[in-house]
Amino acid sequence: MKKIYRYIFATLLILFCQGCIEEDKFSNSPAGNFDALWTIIDQRYCFFEHAEDEFGLDWEETYRKYRPLAEQCKNSMELFDTLGNMLKELRDGHVNLVSSYGTSYYWNWKLDYPINFSDSIQRNYLGNNFGYSNGIKFNSLMPDSIGYAYVETFADAMSDNNISIILSRLSINKGLIIDIRNNGGGMLTSAEKLASHFTNEKVHTGYIQHKNGTGHDDFSSPEAIYLERGDGAVWLRPVVVLTNRAVYSSANYFVMLMRELPHVVILGDKTGGGSGLPLNSTLPNGWTVRFSACPILDKEGKHTEFGIEPDIAVNITSEDWNRGRDTMIDTAVELINSFYDKKNEEEVE
Amino acid sequence: MRKTARYILLLLVLLLTSTTLKAQDIVIDSIIPRRVLVRTSSHGIALLNNLDTYLSGYNYTGLGYHYNLENFRDAHFGSYKWKYQTLFNVTGGITELNSSTQYSLMANRFWSGYHPFEIGERLQLLAGVQIQLSGGALYIPANGNNLISAKLRLALAASGMAIYHIPIRGRDHVARYQLDIPLAGAMFSPEFGQSYYEIFGLGHCANTWHFAHPFNSPSWRHTVSFDIPIGSNRRNVTLRLSYIADLYQSEVNDLRTHLYSHAFTFGFVKTLYKVKQGDPIKAYTPY
Repeated sequence: MKKIYRYIFATLLILFCQGCIEEDKFSNSPAGNFDALWTIIDQRYCFFEHAEDEFGLDWEETYRKYRPLAEQCKNSMELFDTLGNMLKELRDGHVNLVSSYGTSYYWNWKLDYPINFSDSIQRNYLGNNFGYSNGIKFNSLMPDSIGYAYVETFADAMSDNNISIILSRLSINKGLIIDIRNNGGGMLTSAEKLASHFTNEKVHTGYIQHKNGTGHDDFSSPEAIYLERGDGAVWLRPVVVLTNRAVYSSANYFVMLMRELPHVVILGDKTGGGSGLPLNSTLPNGWTVRFSACPILDKEGKHTEFGIEPDIAVNITSEDWNRGRDTMIDTAVELINSFYDKKNEEEVE
Repeated sequence: MRKTARYILLLLVLLLTSTTLKAQDIVIDSIIPRRVLVRTSSHGIALLNNLDTYLSGYNYTGLGYHYNLENFRDAHFGSYKWKYQTLFNVTGGITELNSSTQYSLMANRFWSGYHPFEIGERLQLLAGVQIQLSGGALYIPANGNNLISAKLRLALAASGMAIYHIPIRGRDHVARYQLDIPLAGAMFSPEFGQSYYEIFGLGHCANTWHFAHPFNSPSWRHTVSFDIPIGSNRRNVTLRLSYIADLYQSEVNDLRTHLYSHAFTFGFVKTLYKVKQGDPIKAYTPY
């Protein structure tokens, strides 16, 4: 009987001595907030190895460089700037610090490169009588009879119905130009939804993985991503997707999906990248940090974090810019026309 | 001022016990009921302390609303007599860490069976098993792809209760303490850096369900309550004051969670009788 009591006591002891599961042990001081931020990134950021290969990032060195600066901060605004500068060392547009002082951004992924887009020049093509649905501006380019759709953002949800209506209204055209220049992203599901209306079958487009531990190399095994046919209208005629360096995040993902389709050509400048699905966390002082956590890889298992090269590289020339012409749109029109010319020649032969 | 407070209290009592009074109206002293069900519905304020490192590494603290519904009755399994309890409670609140806000909603549904031990005239001890279903979510609007952390756990728990009757001025007051400790079960948790888009959008669910035990999910729930009969003998109304400490914890996939809720509630005890016409009737309570 005594033995039973002893077992019961031991069990209760184990149960209660498990203790409480506690929060991270960083103080709400400049050094504490710095350590908290550095540790969050150290444990949860997903592109250390890739950034090391690409531009020689040394994260430990970053700690040694910025920790003394954080300790010297006299006020929280100075601390915000110091922490923001440390995050910029990652050269990742998905890494931001958010506080009442604003949001820290790394912009060089697009500012270091040509703009390759002008909404004033775009007006010469889109005209005044364009359609507008689901955030997409669209019209037919005459006399070539080629559809033009400008997708400015993926921030809003897209519906099969709206996309189908847009495609139906453009169906008089022999080809379609999808312009996603300056599209900084939004929701992956919106990018997928739009892309799903350009395939009739299930297509393997890439892989996704995530951090499954705190080490720099702790990743889940890559899981395949497929693009499946959307409900409603499907466009299988020639498509040219226009890109520039400001195509980022979900828009970069859209390019990754579309380039696997046989009737689609990517034309323009390299995209800005941003292939890591970002997650958020907080610092002891309540500031929010966003960081890339889940890498999305292309069909070959390669990162697209620093952009996707186009199939046909084209920049807007100074001559075209000065005379209000968009070299990318003009080249896309020529490309679709030449496709049909070639097809006609083959039929004649 | 005291008179006004008394009227407000009386109004609250009338509002919250309107169904109680109807149920008790059918009691006639000479009937032996087929089933007696004691139902207590309580409302209160909860002090919350939430941590979920999937969303944030720090404690969010604040206030919440707590609702608790308990059913308690005798049950039979052949000649074996036992006590059966069902619990439903929900806690919702707003918690903060400096300028960052978090919303939380957690619900529990417990089914318990107890073997009673009579110790003397006033004390009763109950030991039994409990099935616990707990679920809910934490939500930080400022977060992007990880703005919600869902909680779901099904567990087999050990449960014990001590009930003590205290006669004060000829009326039976009841003090009760209950402890519930989950021992084994299954619980949901995303992986360390996994997004819900991957789990629910792409269906990548590997390693999201875990065997839950006291070493990775050390949780417990304490309830202390005191039943105070108020009103006349004929129209007896029982007020229940409770303190409920619900301490939910887990540590899986390198993610740490604690959801501490300390609720102070008040409610009214209803006794419902199931009788058949012609049965002899007698007032009775299962504890």
